[in-house]
Amino acid sequence: MKDAIRTDNLTKTFRKFDALRDLSLSVPEGAVYAFVGPNGAGKTTAIKILMNIISATQGRAEVLGLDSTELRGRAFTSIGYVSENQELPEWMRVGSFFDFLRPFYPTWDRSLEEQLIRQFELPLDRKLRNLSRGMRVKAALASALAYHPKLIVLDEPFTGLDPLVRDELIQGLLERAEESTIFISSHDLAEIESFASHIGYLEQGCLRFSEELTSLAERFREVELTFAAPPRMPNRLPETWMHVASSAAVIRFVESRFDEARTSADVRTVFGEAKDVTFAPMSLRSIFLAMARAGRETA
Amino acid sequence: MNQVMSVFLKDLRHYWRETLAAVALLSAFGWQEVRSWSEGGLGAYAVGYGVSSVWPPISGLVGFLIPVVWLFVIARAIQGESLVGDRQFWVTRPFEWTKLLAAKTLFVLTFINLPLFVLDVFLLKAAGFAPQQYLTGLLWMQLTILIILVLPAAALATVTASVAQFFLALLLVLLYLIGGSWLSEQIPSSRFGSSGSLTGVFFIAVCLAVILLQYARRKTFASRLLIVGFGIACIVLLAVTPYRSLVARRFPQLSEGDQPPFQLALVPDLKPQPTDLPSERGAEDVLIFLPFAVSGIAPDSIVRLHGVLYEVQSRDGFRWDSGWKYQGVFLFPGQKNTQLILQLKRGVYERMKSSPVNLHMSLAVTVYEDKNRREFVVPSGDFALADAGVCSAEHRFTRSLYCRAPLRRPSFLLITADASRSTCQSGDEQSPPEKGAIARGWISDESSAPAEPGINPLQEFSVGLTHWTDSPQRSSTGICPGTPVTLSNPEPVRKLRTELSLRDFSLEEYRGPRR
Repeated sequence: MKDAIRTDNLTKTFRKFDALRDLSLSVPEGAVYAFVGPNGAGKTTAIKILMNIISATQGRAEVLGLDSTELRGRAFTSIGYVSENQELPEWMRVGSFFDFLRPFYPTWDRSLEEQLIRQFELPLDRKLRNLSRGMRVKAALASALAYHPKLIVLDEPFTGLDPLVRDELIQGLLERAEESTIFISSHDLAEIESFASHIGYLEQGCLRFSEELTSLAERFREVELTFAAPPRMPNRLPETWMHVASSAAVIRFVESRFDEARTSADVRTVFGEAKDVTFAPMSLRSIFLAMARAGRETA
Repeated sequence: MNQVMSVFLKDLRHYWRETLAAVALLSAFGWQEVRSWSEGGLGAYAVGYGVSSVWPPISGLVGFLIPVVWLFVIARAIQGESLVGDRQFWVTRPFEWTKLLAAKTLFVLTFINLPLFVLDVFLLKAAGFAPQQYLTGLLWMQLTILIILVLPAAALATVTASVAQFFLALLLVLLYLIGGSWLSEQIPSSRFGSSGSLTGVFFIAVCLAVILLQYARRKTFASRLLIVGFGIACIVLLAVTPYRSLVARRFPQLSEGDQPPFQLALVPDLKPQPTDLPSERGAEDVLIFLPFAVSGIAPDSIVRLHGVLYEVQSRDGFRWDSGWKYQGVFLFPGQKNTQLILQLKRGVYERMKSSPVNLHMSLAVTVYEDKNRREFVVPSGDFALADAGVCSAEHRFTRSLYCRAPLRRPSFLLITADASRSTCQSGDEQSPPEKGAIARGWISDESSAPAEPGINPLQEFSVGLTHWTDSPQRSSTGICPGTPVTLSNPEPVRKLRTELSLRDFSLEEYRGPRR
């Protein structure tokens, strides 16, 4: 499968601050890629480099087979980009905004435009500056979907939106998921979990992991060990165990490379006296929090 | 609809108020100009008289507002798709930079150049000139507006994010120009020796480079650096230009054995009359007046002293030189005397005044041949005069010739008359001139461009006649209907440099009046 996005050792330095360090990731065509990470992790910087809004200090990126530094003009007829802090032509009415953009896209679908306007309940006669934040994001998203882009790039589109608007936006996106690759950065893990196929986790400018969501879900487990008496904590623990915590006769940890046979064997090796072992699947939010906490602990 | 038209029409919808203001101001300018002619004929337009004196505040305001509104329109149009920053929605839309630039160019041409062109055509026609005969000059005016105003404003607008930032940058540019002008005054010969053409070419190149760099790549930091670099380069160029060598090339030294086209001899008896001289202003400078007897000017020749370089050496070996300074003194055949003014720093004067000094003068000279001489009797009312447009000698308050010329003033129009044959009634306070006393007046413009830069295609000017009396004082002669004059168009034939030395010259003796 071809990659819609591919980066090799992408690095961005602002003076002495490394916003992005050796970011290498690939987003396969047709994926819904969730690009997550805490604030200041470098998600927006990475997306701006991908969209050729800013240039990388080192490394390279390819978007739809094109070097990202060559991304301009006609190349954007296949890309829909919406960002939380994008400056729209505020003086325009919603209808005029669509009228203005329509001639720029050979694949603009008038019926899809009308459908999106209806779906998002966009008021055509209102100026963009007079719209609520949610409505503005909807207008921006509708204007980025109406031409069937091959790649949809969304930078924190859900920030500050009420749940209803989020659901509407996600619904709108999901309806496009079959024909497009979606690359979305967000803190909103719960919503992303419901529709993302791939996930990349960025922290302090470094990509901690990038993989399919199903394999991630398979890889992480919350492990609970029950003992007859409070166990003694050994000095060395497997590196894949995170946040090991004991409470009376119970030890809990997060296994980040879960394989039932191997993990069970590890448990037996380290805690042979464990009476009971349970492996519980984790939500994306729990995995994210575990990763974030681990990152802070090692920082 | 293509991208160019989409963006153009979008800008038109968004900036209709600004464009309307620009067009309205130009219309007001045109209306005001034509209105000023309609009352009292051409002579009434003389500066300070007639209709223009009724309206100067509004006239000045309109003239000031037009370029300001143009700057505003340019900044707004370009910043409609701002090239600075990383949050603009349009940078991730399929805008092609060439088409975006074309749309902005079209907008500026449509709402700045086209209305100006229409106004210029209208004014020429209203003033009685056939616009189709002046197409080259009209296009030249458009080009000068593009180079002087549009291009630099567009370059600044591409590297600023808002109109406020744009005007702040403009203010910085103005401060830089003021600083540069001050610096130029401090560098000897820089005002006289610099041709400015090299800087002009670089200026255009840098403006174009910034605009293209911003539209093609949005490299704002590099573009700003380019502008700052150009500013620094200009200052460096100002400081290191070998002005004296340039003057020496422009005005080659008269070869040995060659007869100078004129002779000057200091005439100590021709002391200047205090009323006829400029006074020293402030405490910094001292003015030394040098009265010369003039001779040796061939008939049909006119000599222009373009610039003078003064070198003063005192007996104790102290030397000072002025650098090349503009003079703009004309010497005519039959003229008996003239005077030059040496401006000295007070410190230098105080150091040298006590004993005689050696004063050496280098004179940069253009020799003209008086051509196309024709006799002419000034008619009544408005009349056409070749090169000078439409003229009139009828004015309520002054007795000069007032002309309105299409696009530019004449390169050189010389009016010569027998002062005693003036048909103007002489005032009681003036004694009538001697018979045969030659009075002259002229207008000259060195530029060879087909039009002068600006908004107005009509150049208004006046020529008054003066004649020299036996003293270095000049006396004015009136031009009135019926006055016989000789018109001519002197043409430059030679540029040269000649030297003059005055030994044992007393600075104190020739010092001018003090305020």
